[in-house]
Amino acid sequence: MLPFPTCSNFPGRSTLAMWCGGLALLLLACAPAQATPAFARQTGSVCADCHATAYGGGANGPNLTPYGMRFKLSGYTDSNGSGPPIPVAAQLIATHTVPARGEVTSRLTEADIYLAGRLTDHIGAFVKVAADNTGGGNYKVRLAHVDLRFVAPGLQLAGRDLTLGVSVNNSPGFQDPVSALPGASTLGPPGVTGTLLNLSSPNAPANRVIGATLYGVYDSDWYGEIGTYSALSVAAQDSLGYRASGDPGKLGDTGYFRFAWMKDLKRHFFSAGVVALTTSRQRPRGVPADDITDLGYDLTYQYLGTREHIVQLSYVNVYERRDYGNRPLGPAGQLAQAHGAARDQILSASYTWRQTYGITFSHLDSNGTPDAVRFVPYAEPHTTSNLLSLYWVPFGKEGSIARYGNLKLAATWFRFSRFNGTSSNIFGAPPGAPMASADDLDAFSVSISVAF
Amino acid sequence: MIRPSSARPGAFAAAIGLLLVCVLPGTVRGGDVAAGKDAFRSECSECHSISKGRNKKGPSLFGIVGRPAGSLPDYHYTDALRTAHWTWTEDKLRSYLSQRAKTANPGTRMKFDGINDPQELDDLISFLKTVR
Repeated sequence: MLPFPTCSNFPGRSTLAMWCGGLALLLLACAPAQATPAFARQTGSVCADCHATAYGGGANGPNLTPYGMRFKLSGYTDSNGSGPPIPVAAQLIATHTVPARGEVTSRLTEADIYLAGRLTDHIGAFVKVAADNTGGGNYKVRLAHVDLRFVAPGLQLAGRDLTLGVSVNNSPGFQDPVSALPGASTLGPPGVTGTLLNLSSPNAPANRVIGATLYGVYDSDWYGEIGTYSALSVAAQDSLGYRASGDPGKLGDTGYFRFAWMKDLKRHFFSAGVVALTTSRQRPRGVPADDITDLGYDLTYQYLGTREHIVQLSYVNVYERRDYGNRPLGPAGQLAQAHGAARDQILSASYTWRQTYGITFSHLDSNGTPDAVRFVPYAEPHTTSNLLSLYWVPFGKEGSIARYGNLKLAATWFRFSRFNGTSSNIFGAPPGAPMASADDLDAFSVSISVAF
Repeated sequence: MIRPSSARPGAFAAAIGLLLVCVLPGTVRGGDVAAGKDAFRSECSECHSISKGRNKKGPSLFGIVGRPAGSLPDYHYTDALRTAHWTWTEDKLRSYLSQRAKTANPGTRMKFDGINDPQELDDLISFLKTVR
């Protein structure tokens, strides 16, 4: 889990509390860790075969190797043929969090159960149920990730290999083989607005929808996917552990499209892709719908070599066009904009030595069309942040003592340089009132994760 | 620069040697074990372990050189390999690994595009010979 600022010491207005609560949720959505020793038990592989860092990445998601991408595309069904293992794994994460302002905490932050692996020859699953520490010794259980797959491998088209599959999942982009899109990397730019594909956007669809996509891999290099999603009812979200305040609204006519070129040269890997998500969204439910279309592209490069030194670079740019169905009035009586746009960008670079020691740096940028009604106090939603993480993973490699258990120690800095379009007085406190600056949202954390 | 004429016999011998290496498949070639280990890590290690008795998606390659194909008792082979009736000699490995696995053994589930570089292939086989 990434550190998130605790804003309880920001004084005054109720809007501050709203911002702070929302920001905490945004950063919680960045929770990483895809460590699933159940896959290792099933395949006989080690974690380091599928992940650049032997635990499943640093702070920005799984960091899949091309082999890990193929395993995901196989519907998690590949095995060493030694019989059906129990497709269950668990993870515990403890975190010491030091926010720039707010309470320093040391707690068991997350306990996870995974149903992960092969169910039949053609059906596999990755399902994560997380119990998040909400403070005071209380835990809230939620259904974090769902990716159920049916796959038909071994097909041929024009003499080339073809794999077809269906994914039933709860987060657009989570199912993507290239761990670059926010849904797949579980890292999105936090901010006061954001695209549908950014799981850190306010009221993002991530985890609160259910959808099905049909995907195909042709000649190992070409990936295509098309599907649709529907938002869960507020009651269903609540029963799955999600508060009504984060409801993505009612979605209609939702379409997801993805096309990517992936080239695995063993020592190098390249990919370039485009992605689209379009929907008609009522939020709050019952009001006129907003027509929203996301269009994005992503580029990745991996230097894998002999796995001694691994470098992974990725860039994602998602543009969102909005035709608002509802134009609220501002306090001065002005109407909100009828149309708008948002853009999320993520630039990430990771280096891993011997798949044991790693460093990740990410630059996150969330921006949108100025709107005095929707984006108070400055009409500017621009937010810029950075993530820097150092980590150590002693196990999960060939020759490791623990073959089916793993450990990660990580130190992570999350830094904001701009929030609400500014670096100072980010919440627009009136003269004389205590002010908060962007770097008051910064946080540092040390975490230990154990998977078995 | 004009080379001394004494260099020509050496160059000629090298050319003959290169020709023999290229046209005679059974020629014993020198492979670099360390380079072969790197090749193994890049090309093979995701699917194969070199630990004895440890199968991944593919069978363990411990003692692979000289082993009859499809003979590990605790690995579930395809019929294509179990009925292939060949032995993993150096020549067989060189032939098998120089092409797509599906071409070398139709019906296999092994996904491998082959190694085009003869030196890398020699290095890899030299390394595999040490894994026993």
